[in-house]
Amino acid sequence: MAVFEGVVLEDARTILGRYPEAHQRSAIMPLLYLAQSIEGMVGREALREIGELLGITTAEVEAVASFYSMYRLLPTGEHLVTVCTNLSCKLRGAEVVYEAAREAAGILHGEELSPDGLFTVHEEECLGVCDFAPAVQFNVCNHDNVTPGRMRELIAALRDGEVPTPARGPAFGSFKAASRALAGLEEVPAS
Amino acid sequence: MSADQVTLTIDGKEITVPKGTLIIRAAEQVGVEIPRFCDHPYLEPAGACRQCYVQIEGQPKLATSCTVAVAPGMVVETQNTSEAVRQAQVANLEFLLLNHPLDCPVCDRGGECPLQDQALAFGPSESRFTEAKRTFPKPVPMSPLIGLDRERCVLCARCTRFCDEISGDRFLELYARGAGERVSIAAGEDLRSPFSGNVVQICPVGALTATPYRFVARPFDLTSADTVCRHCSAGCSVRVDQRRGEVVRVLARENPDVNDAWICDKGRFAFGHDDAAGRLTTPLVRDRGLEPTSFGEALTAVADACRGARVGVIAGGRLLDEDAYALSKLARTVLRTNDLDHRRAAYGGAAERTAATGAGAVTYRDVEHAAVIVVVGLDAEQEVPILHLRLRKAAARGARIVVVVARRTRLHDVAEHVLVRPGAEAAALAAIVAGTDAQGVGAALAAAGEKGLVVAGARLAEHDGAADAALTVARTHGARFAWVARRAGDHGSLRAGVHPGFGPGGRRLDVADERAELEAVWGPVMVEGPGRDAIEILRAAANHELDVLYLIGVDPLRDAPDAALSRRALQNVPTVIVQSLELGDLEPYAGVFLPAASFLEREGHVSDWEGRSQRVLPLRAGAGISRPDWEIFAGLAAACGGDLGFDTLEQLHAEMARLWIPREGVVDAAAITPPTLPDGMTLTTYPLLIDEGRMSAGADELKAALGEPAFAEMHPSDASAHGLADGLGVRLRTAAGEAVVPLRVTEHVAAGTVFVPFNQPGLAANTLLSGTFTTAVEVAPADADAFATVGGDAS
Amino acid sequence: MTIDLEPRLTRNWSDPNAIGLEGYVAAGGYAGLRQALGMAEVDIVEQVKASGLRGRGGAGFPTGMKWGFVPRDTGKPTYVVVNFDESEPGTCNNRELVEREPHRLLEGTAIAALAIGCETAYIYIRGEYLWQSIVLERAIAEAYAGGYLGLDVCDSGKRVDVVLHRGAGAYICGEETALLNSLEGLRGQPRLRPPFPAVEGLFASPTVINNVETLMNVPDIITRGVEWFRAVGTEKSPGTKMVTISGKVERPGNYEIPLGTPFRAVLEELGGGILGGRALKAWTPGGSSTPMLTADHVDTGLDYESLAAAGSLLGTAAIMVLDDTDCVVDCAQRMVAFYAHESCGKCTPCREGSWWATRVLERLEDGYGRSEDLPLMHDMGTNILFRAFCALADGTASVINSSLAHFADEYEDHVRLGRCPLREAPVGVEVAG
Repeated sequence: MAVFEGVVLEDARTILGRYPEAHQRSAIMPLLYLAQSIEGMVGREALREIGELLGITTAEVEAVASFYSMYRLLPTGEHLVTVCTNLSCKLRGAEVVYEAAREAAGILHGEELSPDGLFTVHEEECLGVCDFAPAVQFNVCNHDNVTPGRMRELIAALRDGEVPTPARGPAFGSFKAASRALAGLEEVPAS
Repeated sequence: MSADQVTLTIDGKEITVPKGTLIIRAAEQVGVEIPRFCDHPYLEPAGACRQCYVQIEGQPKLATSCTVAVAPGMVVETQNTSEAVRQAQVANLEFLLLNHPLDCPVCDRGGECPLQDQALAFGPSESRFTEAKRTFPKPVPMSPLIGLDRERCVLCARCTRFCDEISGDRFLELYARGAGERVSIAAGEDLRSPFSGNVVQICPVGALTATPYRFVARPFDLTSADTVCRHCSAGCSVRVDQRRGEVVRVLARENPDVNDAWICDKGRFAFGHDDAAGRLTTPLVRDRGLEPTSFGEALTAVADACRGARVGVIAGGRLLDEDAYALSKLARTVLRTNDLDHRRAAYGGAAERTAATGAGAVTYRDVEHAAVIVVVGLDAEQEVPILHLRLRKAAARGARIVVVVARRTRLHDVAEHVLVRPGAEAAALAAIVAGTDAQGVGAALAAAGEKGLVVAGARLAEHDGAADAALTVARTHGARFAWVARRAGDHGSLRAGVHPGFGPGGRRLDVADERAELEAVWGPVMVEGPGRDAIEILRAAANHELDVLYLIGVDPLRDAPDAALSRRALQNVPTVIVQSLELGDLEPYAGVFLPAASFLEREGHVSDWEGRSQRVLPLRAGAGISRPDWEIFAGLAAACGGDLGFDTLEQLHAEMARLWIPREGVVDAAAITPPTLPDGMTLTTYPLLIDEGRMSAGADELKAALGEPAFAEMHPSDASAHGLADGLGVRLRTAAGEAVVPLRVTEHVAAGTVFVPFNQPGLAANTLLSGTFTTAVEVAPADADAFATVGGDAS
Repeated sequence: MTIDLEPRLTRNWSDPNAIGLEGYVAAGGYAGLRQALGMAEVDIVEQVKASGLRGRGGAGFPTGMKWGFVPRDTGKPTYVVVNFDESEPGTCNNRELVEREPHRLLEGTAIAALAIGCETAYIYIRGEYLWQSIVLERAIAEAYAGGYLGLDVCDSGKRVDVVLHRGAGAYICGEETALLNSLEGLRGQPRLRPPFPAVEGLFASPTVINNVETLMNVPDIITRGVEWFRAVGTEKSPGTKMVTISGKVERPGNYEIPLGTPFRAVLEELGGGILGGRALKAWTPGGSSTPMLTADHVDTGLDYESLAAAGSLLGTAAIMVLDDTDCVVDCAQRMVAFYAHESCGKCTPCREGSWWATRVLERLEDGYGRSEDLPLMHDMGTNILFRAFCALADGTASVINSSLAHFADEYEDHVRLGRCPLREAPVGVEVAG
C-alpha cells in the first residue's frame, strides 16, 4: 500500500479498533479523514486501499467519499477556508466576506484553489455558529463575526506563516492537520 | 380465510392477497398497473422514484405503493380513481423529465421504454422547464459490455441495487448527492460481473445499454421467441430476439421457479455460435477429402462402418433429453455397445446414479428456502451462475452456507469456505459425517431437517469416493441431495443413461430386474454391462481396440482431460464419426460428418440440474439439411437394419415416458475410504464461465469484459516455499507436459494446490493432464516473458 | 421581564470549570447517573415518560415512549445513538451546550444506555464541529478515568462505552436513519421504515436515537423528579427549550426559555430587538425548514401546539430574523439552494424539485422572472410537500409555500419591476409603476 503504510497503517488499525469486528465498514469515514491528512485530499489510490482494508470495492468507498462535502476529492490548498453563506450569515454580510476571501487568496474565477496552492476557499452551508455570524472556518477552526477586513487579515497572517488563534479551541495549522484531528487521532490529554 | 391472507379494496375492487404483499403488486392482480421506475419485483423496495403514489383512505399523505404492504380493510385509490393521485404522478413525471434528454429517436430503449410510455400516456405536452438541462459526458463505458448515458438516467438505483442485493458484485454505485448524484464505477475498475447484463435489462430508461446491441435494431424490427438457455444446466428462461433470422439479443424472462428475472452474461451475450462461420449443414463423407453428400448416403456409410464393429460413443453436453434417450437405446439395441459416455469424470458412484433415477429432486426453491446448505465440488458462479445467485438469495434469507472446495468461490462474502486439496474432499466430508469437523456442519444439517441441503457438483466424480461421501453426508444428517452437472445436456444424458454403467433411470444392465425393466420397453438389449467410460473409450481407440469412434457434439482434443491421448485415439481408430454443428479441429480425422440442427432450430426438452424438463420449440427453420440428433439416431438405426421404434417425437415421448418416471428406492453409497494424497503439489483445473469454449465463439465484447488469459493460482505458503512470487511466471511440469503461466499468489486456493483454468487463452490445460482433471505437478520459477505452453505431447 | 426562568441546562454556563469533570461533579454532576444505577431499567423509562420530555431535535416525539419501544428479547445488543449532527440552518444550541458542559451529555447518554440495557453508545457529531468533538473526546477520556464510563460504571458492574463518530458534511445525516447509514459507513441516505430504528437500527439491532439537548435534560429528571421538570413549560410541552436567535437582531445567541414563551419576549428581551431599530419583516421559528412567519405572528408562543396553530413548527427553535431591508425572494432562494445542495439525491421530488426551484428563484431575484413563474412556484411547493422520501424536501416546500403565502406581493414586484425591489435600480433602468 502506498498511502496506508507504516505508521499510517498503524493509525488505520487504531481507527478500525473503534468499531465492532463485524462492522468494520463503520471506520470508512475516519479512514477517509486519515487519507486526507496524508495527501491533503482523498486520492484514487487511497480510495482503493481503504476498500482493501475494509474488504469492499473502490466504488463503494468512492460512493461514500463523494457523498460528504468535507472529503476533498480534488487537489486542495494547504489551508481550507470555508465561509458560511447560509441565511443567518448572509443576513450579516457573509457574501461580501466570501468574495473578500477569494480576492485575498487570489483565486481565479470559477476556481476554488489559489494558483499558489496555498488556499482553497469554499462557500459552505450552515456551520452552526449562527450566533456569531458571519461564521468562517480556517482549517475547520472557527473565527467569529468575520468582516471582509478581518478576512483579509487572517489570510495575510497565514501567508506570513502565522496561525491565527481561533474563536474557540486549538488552531490547526493546515488542512492536513485538521484532517488528522477529524480522524480522531489528535492527542487529547484529559484537561 | 387463513391468517396469512389479507383482503383489501383497490379502485373499488376487493381482492385477497398474501400478507406482506406490496400494494403495487396487489394492484396488478386486479389489473391495475401503477406506474413505477425504481420498483422491481426481485429487488428490495426503494421508494426512490416516487412515481407510484396511491391514496390510502384515512392517510393524510399519498403513499408510494411500492413500499407499503397491504393491510386488512385497506381502501386504496390509484390514478384510475383519484384525481389527487393522478395529479401527483403527472407532477412527478414533470420532475423526472426536467433533465431527461429528448433523444428517444436515437435511444436503444426507444419503443420499449417505461419513461417514454409514461410521458406519452399522460405527460405534459410542453415543458415548463426553461433552464439549461444537466449535462454529462456520454456514453461512459462501464465495461466492454455496458455503456452508461447519465443524462438519460432517472437515478432509480435499480442497477446499483442489483449489484448490491443480487450479484454482490458491487462495482456500480451511486456517487455524490442531490442533483449531482450519478451512477458510476471507480476509475480503473470495470463493472466486472458475470451478471452485468441484467442491469441493462432492468434499467427503466436508456441509460444503461449493452455494447453488442447498441444501435443494432429497433423493437419493431425484431422477431421474439421464448426458449431456454443452453449454455449450462441452470435452465434459464430466455427470450431470443432475431432480426432477419439472425440472433441480435437475448433477454431474461421472468421465471420464479428457475431464474427469477436474471440470466448470466454468457447466456445473454454468447449467442453468435449458431450463426458462426464454421457451421456445417450438409453431411460429409471422406472420399479423397470430405465430400458433401446426402443424409441417406452418410448414414449408410456410418452403418457400414459399424456393422460388426467395436464402436465407442462419446457425447457432449449439448443433447436434448430426447436425443439422449434415442442415443442410449441406439447404442444398446443397435450398435451393441455399452462403451457410451457423456461425462467428464467417472467416479460419480451412487451419487450420480441417485440423480439418474430422478427421485428426490432438489429445486431452486428448495435452495432459496434452505436453512443449511453444504456446497461441495462446485464453483457455482463460474459453472451454473444462476444457481450461484439462488445460493446468495438463500444466504440473504439467513441460510448458513458451507462450501467445501479447493478454490474459494464468489460466495465468499456470504458463505464459510473449507478449502481442501483436490482429492481431500472425501476426507473433509467424512469428518462432517462423523461430526468431527471444526464447523459443526453435520449437527447444523441435522437440525435443519428438510431444510438441509447438500449440493454436490459433478466434478466430485473426479475423485474416487468423494461423490459417495457427499451423498453419505446427506443421508447421515437427513439432508436432501442435489447432483449438479454443469452442461445443459448433462442431466438429461444421465437420466437417459448415456453412461457405461446404466440405461435410462439408472437401470443397470448387469442387475437382472433392472435389465428386465429396460427390456420390457426396448426388447432385447444386445450388450452386457458395464462398458468403458469416456477416457477408457479414448484409451481403447488409441490402443487399436475400437473400430469406430462416434463423437456427438464433443471434441476430445479440447474437452477430454488428456490432449495427447485424444490425438492418438483419433489417429489410431479406423473410423471417426462426427455429429455436430461444426468440425473444427476434428476435420482431419472425421470419416463421416453428420450435421445436427442447432438448439434454436429444435423441438424437444432440456432438463436442468434440478431435473426440471423444459420444452423448447424451434425459433427458426433448420439450417441446410441438418437434422435433430434424435432423428439422426433413428435414421442410423434404420440404416443398420434396426428400428428404434419411433419416427415422430410423439412416439418417442410415449416410449420414453415409461422409463423416465422417477424410480424411488435407495441407492447404496460406498463406504468412505478417503484416498491418500500424494506428496508434493497437485494441479487441478475446471473451466471458467468465459473461456475459449466453442459456445462463446464470436462474443468478443463478452470476452473483453470477463475473459482473462491463462494463469495459475497458488497459496502464499507454497509460493514462498518454491521461491515464487505474485505476477511472475511459474513453470508447471506434469507427466503430460509443461507450461509457463503468470502466477497469482492467493489465499483463495488450498495449500498444496495449483489451480489453472481449463481453457483460457494461452493454455489448454488438458495438455498437462493424463486422463483426470487433477495431477501431480512440479512448480518452478520461470521467465515471466515466456508465458506459453512450452511443452506437451503433440505427437 | 416576561421571561422569568431559573436556568436549567444553562445554569453552569457562567462557570468555566463546568467543562471539566471536576467542575461538573462539584456542581452536582453524575448524581443522576449514580441514582439511575440503583433503579430498574423500567423505572428509568417510566420516570422519563412521566416527565413528558419530548425530543428536542425537531419532531418532538416523547422520549420515554421512544425508550419503551426497544425490544429486549431479540438476542441482539441494543444501542444508544446521540444525534449531534445539528445542521439545521440557524441552529447552534447543541454546540454551545456541549462546549460549556460536555459531561452533562455523557451523563444523559449513560442514563439512556442504562434504561435500554445498552453497552455501547455512539455520539454522531457533525464534522464541522471539530473543536466540540475534541471537547467531547477529552470529556470521554475523563469520564473513563473517573469511572463514569467503561467496563464498570461507578462500580456497579454495568458497562457503558461511548464511541465518538464524526460526520463529514451532510445535513441529511440529522435524519435518524440517514445518520445510522452514515454510522455504518454507507452513504447518508435515509432508510425505509418500517423497520423502525427501535427495532432494527444500528447494525440491524434495537436502537434509540436522541438529540443532544434531549439527553442533557435527563440527569435532572432523574435527580430532581418529574414534578420539578413539569413546573416549567406547558402541559403538553413541559420543560425548557434552548432557542437560537440569529440574523437581524441586536444580541444573537443561544438562550434557554420555558416552552410556550411568546416570540415577542424572546426577540425583545433576549435578542435585544431588531438590529439598528428597524422593523421585523419575517422570522423562522424553528430553522429554515419551518414555514416562515411575519410580524403578525409576533405574539405566538414558542411551543409545539401554538406554532402548529400558526401554520408553522417548533422545529429546532432556531429563530432567524429578517428586517424590512431584506428581500424575501433572495432569502428564499438561499434557503432553497441549501436544500438542493443537501438533498441526498435518493428521491425525485427532492432532488429535481429543489434543483429547479433554486434556479427559478435565482431568475426571479435577478430580474428575469415571468408572470407564469408564480403559479409555477406554487405548483412546485405543492408537488414537493409530503411527496418525498423523507422530511428534508418538506423544508424546500416550506420555504416556497410560506414565502409565497405571506409575501406574494414581493414576488409580483420582482416580476413587474424586472428586478429586486429592495436592491437599488441599476443606472439607466427606468423604474416602472
